[in-house]
Amino acid sequence: MGTRTGTSSLSETQMPPDGVVIKADDLWKTYDMGEAIQVHALSGVSFDIDRGEYVAIMGPSGSGKSTLMNLIGCLDTPTQGAYWLNGHLVSELSDDELAYIRNKEIGFVFQTFNLLARASALHNVELPLIYSGMPARERLEKAEDALRKVDLAERMNHKPNELSGGQRQRVAIARALVNNPSIILADEPTGNLDSATGEEIMGVFGRLHEAGNTILLVTHEHDIAAHAHRIIHVRDGRIERDERIG
Amino acid sequence: MLIASSTFVTAALSETSESGEEWKLETGNWKSGTGSRFLVPIRMASLDQTASFPQARAIRPAARSGVWVSVREAFWIALEALRAHKLRTFLTLLGVVIATTTLIVVMSLVNGMNLYIADHIANLGANVFIVHRYQWAQGYDAWLKARRRNKPILIEEFEFLRDNLKNYRNIGAEAEIQNIDSNARYQSHTVYFLDIAGVTPNMIDIGMQKVESGRYITQPDYEHESMVCFIGQDLVTAFFPNVDPLNKEILVNGIPFRVVGVAEKIGSTFGESQDNFVQIPLTTYKKYFSPRPSLEVNVQAWDSDQMMRLEDETRALLRARRHIPYLEDDTFGINASDTIMQTWHQITGAVFGVTIGIVAVFMVVGGIVIMNIMLASVTERTHEIGIRKSLGARRRDILMQFVIESSVMAGIGGGMGLLAAVMVSELVNLVVGPGFFNASIPLSAILVGLVLSTVVGLFFGIYPASQAAKLDPIEALRTEN
Repeated sequence: MGTRTGTSSLSETQMPPDGVVIKADDLWKTYDMGEAIQVHALSGVSFDIDRGEYVAIMGPSGSGKSTLMNLIGCLDTPTQGAYWLNGHLVSELSDDELAYIRNKEIGFVFQTFNLLARASALHNVELPLIYSGMPARERLEKAEDALRKVDLAERMNHKPNELSGGQRQRVAIARALVNNPSIILADEPTGNLDSATGEEIMGVFGRLHEAGNTILLVTHEHDIAAHAHRIIHVRDGRIERDERIG
Repeated sequence: MLIASSTFVTAALSETSESGEEWKLETGNWKSGTGSRFLVPIRMASLDQTASFPQARAIRPAARSGVWVSVREAFWIALEALRAHKLRTFLTLLGVVIATTTLIVVMSLVNGMNLYIADHIANLGANVFIVHRYQWAQGYDAWLKARRRNKPILIEEFEFLRDNLKNYRNIGAEAEIQNIDSNARYQSHTVYFLDIAGVTPNMIDIGMQKVESGRYITQPDYEHESMVCFIGQDLVTAFFPNVDPLNKEILVNGIPFRVVGVAEKIGSTFGESQDNFVQIPLTTYKKYFSPRPSLEVNVQAWDSDQMMRLEDETRALLRARRHIPYLEDDTFGINASDTIMQTWHQITGAVFGVTIGIVAVFMVVGGIVIMNIMLASVTERTHEIGIRKSLGARRRDILMQFVIESSVMAGIGGGMGLLAAVMVSELVNLVVGPGFFNASIPLSAILVGLVLSTVVGLFFGIYPASQAAKLDPIEALRTEN
């Protein structure tokens, strides 16, 4: 396992053409567990995602899908391989540059919502704009706009604990949308919701996709993944199957 | 958006791999002049593909205004966090509060004393110095020594100075007793702890006293050892609330004196009334109260330039008359307002030295407590930090957030210290009472207190903030709280 061919060097990787939002080329993520024991969370994953696609990444726990999501979300960098996101070669960036990419190019939706408990819905949605340095008035306008898109305009001054689970997730979606990212990255977005609310949230994603957004869904549930138009199955750190639906 | 055609790019070949295919493009900042640069490595299959060079975006840090946006956010977070933990914040800040209070109270007390000294003690009159048995306002050891060596200034010595000093404006003398037995009586009223002073007639011109009604001691009174007195306002209040005191006869230590004049009210010094006195001719004083009175000789110069010369002359004359050998210390003191002020400033300097030490210790302790609570706060809010990082907060955004939080916290501590100091100095003023002095807080104390506490917060916030900034976003997001 330890011998990987160093010849798949990056010099052979070309920058992807314009329509490609994500290009992953032979991504490896290896963890050293001391004493020459290496664990490969990802072993050579390659795929492209075009602009406007609705993709689900599926796999059981331990399949490496979380690691893959962290790499796609620019929270982490691969041990080896090239990762392009909307023209940025992410795999080579520093911490602060990654922060910039996360801010501009990625909208996260998490299973546990990850909203700031003490801040109002509006302020939560404003956060990405704050970190991109947008002046207050413009920020407010955009945040309100994003909340309107998820039908929460009238609840924008409520704190997360005053909102239902579905409403919280919609706030999180508004936050993901607000900076017009290249992709919306949703990690088990319905995992903490009952199935009716889950369907409602999937409806929101469907509308966003129709509006032209690129959506990447990470899930282990088939009926959730079924909303996507393409499913990438991951198992044991490799892509098992890449199927297109409809 | 081709890099090759973008004007802001200053393409520089900075590194080439052995195959000659790896390039790094060094791009200038989007906005010129901000000076930051990013390395965007570009990999190419071969050089001749430059024509179809695909887009690579420069990574642009937030515009400069963005810094202020995140500073405002940091302030908001700080206030929010402090509001959420009021009691904890208060306890955390006690050290800083106490330090600031101490600092400001001491500064305001010293300021009040300075004003007071300037008002009262230094008011001997700018051009007056006093020849007395002791040098005033000197150290305890020096005073013990002087008590053994120094001799009272005698009337003959006063007359010697009066006759031999040159070019002075005025020279007067007074002697006084004031003890538990010195008293004045009028009908059934008695005033104790009376200041009985024998004076030369010109003392009214030298000192700060003014005649309110009647007259002062005159030359004929002096020459004839007259039984007349000039009284202070306390005696008027005690004896003659509704009567004209002039020409009434009062008993001073049982000896009858006729009131010829009343002084204007002076007020009190160090809480002691300065109006509780009778003044009689020095000659009468010598006859009835003290055969060899110890004098305070008041020498008044024409202007301040003359003071030094007159002081030297006085010293030389007295040393000659007392036969003090060369290199021996004076056996008398020459007291001018500037020497008193000098001593006063030495005392306040020492007080300040001690205060600075105490304040420094408190501030360091307070700062460490703040650091401790900030470390706890970072741990508590790891998940929040993870969320912020996932949304694009850079290291310096997080760093700033926590540094500002600890600065704001400590600054609030400084503010509370200021309030406490205001209350303490008001209390001092209330207890000591009006007429003593007013502890007034100088603006510099307010500024020093607030700035110092904020800086302490900033300094001790740096370490916890850098811990927060270093957190790995994935780890931080995974942490539940």
